[in-house]
Amino acid sequence: MVARIQKRGLRDFDWLLAILAIGIVCFGTIQIRYAQPTENFWVKQLIGLGIAIVAMLAVAFNDYRKLLNIAPAFYVFGLLLLVIVLIPGIGLKINGQRAWIRVPGIGQFQPSEFVKVTTAMMLARYFGKHRTNALTLKELAMGGLILGLPIALILLEHDMGQVLTYVPILIVVLFLSGIKMRFVVAAIVLGVVLLPFAYWVGIKTHLIKNYQQERINVILDPEKADRRGFGYNTWQSILTVGEGGLLGAGNSSAYSQSSLKFLPEPHTDFIFAVLAGSTGFVGCIIVLLAYVLLLSRLIAGAKRAPDRMGMLVVMATVGGLTCQIFINVGMSLGILPVIGVPLPLMSAGLASLIATFIAIGFAISVQLRRFVN
Amino acid sequence: MKFEDSSQNLRGRIWLVQIFVVLLLALLGVRLYYLQLVRGQYYAEIAQNQRIRLLPITAPRGVIFDRDGHPLVDSRIIYSVILSREDLRGRNPLTLVAPLAAALAVDGDILRDRFVQIASQPAFESILVKQDATPGDIAWVEAHELEFPELRVEQQPQRRYPPNGLLAHVLGYVGEISPEQLKQNSYKDKGLRPGDVIGQSGLEQTYDDYLRGKDGYRKVIVDSRGRIQDEIETIAPQPGQDLVTTIDLDLQEVAEEQLRTSATKRGVIVVMNPNNGEVLALASAPTFDPNLFSERIGTREGRAEYAALLNDPDKPLINRAVQSRYPPGSTWKVPMAIAGLQQGAITLDHSNLVCGGGIQVGNKFTRCMGNHGTPDLKTAITKSCDGYFYRLGLKMGIDGIMAMVDEFDLGRRTGIDIPNEVISLTPSPELKQKTQPQNAEWKDIDTVYASFGQVYDIITPIALLRTIAGISVGGDLYVPHFLKELRPVNATGPFELRAGRSFQPLDGARPNPKKLSISEDFHHLVVEGMWGVVNNGGTAASIRMAGFDIAGKTGTAQVVENGKDTGKNKDHAWFVSYAPAYKPEIALVALIENSGFGGQNAAPAVRRVYDVYYRKTRNEEPPGALPVAKTPKPEDKNEPKKAPAEIAQNQ
Repeated sequence: MVARIQKRGLRDFDWLLAILAIGIVCFGTIQIRYAQPTENFWVKQLIGLGIAIVAMLAVAFNDYRKLLNIAPAFYVFGLLLLVIVLIPGIGLKINGQRAWIRVPGIGQFQPSEFVKVTTAMMLARYFGKHRTNALTLKELAMGGLILGLPIALILLEHDMGQVLTYVPILIVVLFLSGIKMRFVVAAIVLGVVLLPFAYWVGIKTHLIKNYQQERINVILDPEKADRRGFGYNTWQSILTVGEGGLLGAGNSSAYSQSSLKFLPEPHTDFIFAVLAGSTGFVGCIIVLLAYVLLLSRLIAGAKRAPDRMGMLVVMATVGGLTCQIFINVGMSLGILPVIGVPLPLMSAGLASLIATFIAIGFAISVQLRRFVN
Repeated sequence: MKFEDSSQNLRGRIWLVQIFVVLLLALLGVRLYYLQLVRGQYYAEIAQNQRIRLLPITAPRGVIFDRDGHPLVDSRIIYSVILSREDLRGRNPLTLVAPLAAALAVDGDILRDRFVQIASQPAFESILVKQDATPGDIAWVEAHELEFPELRVEQQPQRRYPPNGLLAHVLGYVGEISPEQLKQNSYKDKGLRPGDVIGQSGLEQTYDDYLRGKDGYRKVIVDSRGRIQDEIETIAPQPGQDLVTTIDLDLQEVAEEQLRTSATKRGVIVVMNPNNGEVLALASAPTFDPNLFSERIGTREGRAEYAALLNDPDKPLINRAVQSRYPPGSTWKVPMAIAGLQQGAITLDHSNLVCGGGIQVGNKFTRCMGNHGTPDLKTAITKSCDGYFYRLGLKMGIDGIMAMVDEFDLGRRTGIDIPNEVISLTPSPELKQKTQPQNAEWKDIDTVYASFGQVYDIITPIALLRTIAGISVGGDLYVPHFLKELRPVNATGPFELRAGRSFQPLDGARPNPKKLSISEDFHHLVVEGMWGVVNNGGTAASIRMAGFDIAGKTGTAQVVENGKDTGKNKDHAWFVSYAPAYKPEIALVALIENSGFGGQNAAPAVRRVYDVYYRKTRNEEPPGALPVAKTPKPEDKNEPKKAPAEIAQNQ
């Protein structure tokens, strides 16, 4: 049985997906090294890639249904990690966010990245039953709760950016779980109307802090914004991207925006700006196409999933990844405010890398079992 | 789809998600196109500029030499702490005042003033925080690189002037360009920027464009904190042109010594070569230390020193030779004599006029100091007969006197090449209208006053010297000047060759010399009179040098009316002269303020200058040299000098 699975596994294994993912990571590692030539982030990233591939294979060659059946356990474990990270002494505080756990030997680890996967699993399991009718209010509330718990804990870490990447997971799951189209339309309309209103209320009640407001102002008009203050990161990122031009400076130029430390966080939050600076428009488009291909490949896999649960876990991944890519790149290109969201597969960071590969592992697992019953 | 369900067209919804994904990423592609291809050039330029800095290397100014090649002014290298604007990143520099004042031991108030003043200038690049930084200061700046990335230590040349205020009024001084100057086009057009050091007085100002070098720069790459990472190129500065002056240091020193030891310690001595206008010495007392402006003006002590100079009633900052006007007294009679002959008021054969001990005009009698009978012109000069010149003036009339003023350029600037020369006041009905509007009509008595160097004649010492020097050489009025040569500087890097040059009148339209047509006979007659002043029992007979014929004219200029002329209000003592009388080499004017008779007070000082000149040029002791001047004791300050009597005995 095992041998049969393995043999068929090698044939049906989604090589393209895995190679695309690994390729993006490798390309990203080059950029990390370029961004921080004096640090060993790129080495850590390669070690992380090794661990991630093992994790991916482990997930891929296991039946995703078995894993999803014990999703509640993973979910609770994830919540526990989020609680642990809040305990001073264990949780590391970086830039005002208590979002990391120190792991000896590797460095720090961000559980909220990992919990994204367990939350998607939990949602897929809950909404993955055979369905003939539209979504009920109770189901909607349950979905909100499953997402709400980790979000609440992450908010306690003051990690607004991560929260934003959680929301689309639920949205995609609800969308594909037969929520009535009129609710979708209503939600979009309401969002368009309420967002500015909420922003206004946020400013008036000082829930949105001054610096957050400035970060939004710099998006609206980067030329006039305070380029030396809160607008600094966005402005420097725009300069780095713009300087890249068509073909980029290449990795040869001795002095770059990142090596001279004009561009902050070049190996994590602004890795895309580094890429844009060194490889130019051509490199950026190639990377964006690679992402489109990867996401399309995941969607194609989801379509062939043998059951709803499998489809949902893959599509939730698609929703999460798309949103994260858009927020991160949008931030680098000065169309979204600066929020600390890593670029999947490219930003230096163990948790993000491993979590993404686990999610891809699920997709491969789903694919491998498309002919089973 | 392996599982079938009827819920809300699942296949279609997945398609929607797929489209949404592609759309979002396509949007990023569009933005990339805009940033990198449409605006790429623009952003690249900004990005490159923010990591490139041009750090100026201040060019040393040219050295100023005396005529024999001794350096008078040069520069030494000092270290200065500089605050760079670029690295302030929009922070308010005023927040740095307190920590910097404490750490670098500079005066906080002065630093704040500088920050306020310069930080408001749009083009400023750096602010001087501390000049002449100590090794301790430099170490502190380097140790606090992270805390104060905007601070830098730069090498700068600092001007060094001679000690004891020697030549201060001639050399002038340098100083930072002022906000007022920056607003003027004449400075803006030269590309001067806030913080630049320029000549602010004297030769430093006149020849600033030549003395000032062209700054070089270091093009460096800096990181986001302004720390230098690499140097792309260095353009060495081009030093300014060296300036050789006409100054003879020996004459200058003796001239200053004479003023320093004079009765009132206030006065002027100018020595000039009448054959070409070269000024060999110019002393104005009291003097000041120009190093104040280059070294100490940025400190509290320096500012107090400057304020004291400004408030000093003796006005040490004024160059009395070109910026002060005095009635010339009887020295005025020399051009009067020439003009009287030229205009035909007197003739060679009939130059006699009545002295009469004075003259009665209307109800007013104006005295002569003696009774000289009916002297001829030569005697009238030698004896300085006022009565003679009253009558000569009346014969010439005010129009004749005005014609004389015009001919000798007495109503114009001499064109000397140091700044702020004032124009002499010369007699004219317009002047009277201006100064005495209630009694504006020009009367004969006014002509009498105008003819012996009082009331309406108020002239600068340099203007008088130029006139007498011109007369001495038979009518060539040269423009007095200090510039002998500006040495060329080779082309280096991007900087072109700077050609050498010699003196040209600053006013290009001015003839140099202005040639007057004074007939040989007229000239001879007047020179004989002046020769007699020293050599034929005249008013300056005490300074006679056998074998070196000094020709001159004393003057005693009234400060207040007769009878009150004591103490502080004593007359100004003048002596203007040249030598040798019939082959002039050197012309000299001396004025000792409020010291009394010219023959007693100004002439002996002049004689000591001639002694030095004689020793230098003849290589022998001058005949009947005066004893080397000693600083007078306080008690004989207001006593008439006894020296003339002693000389008479020596001869």
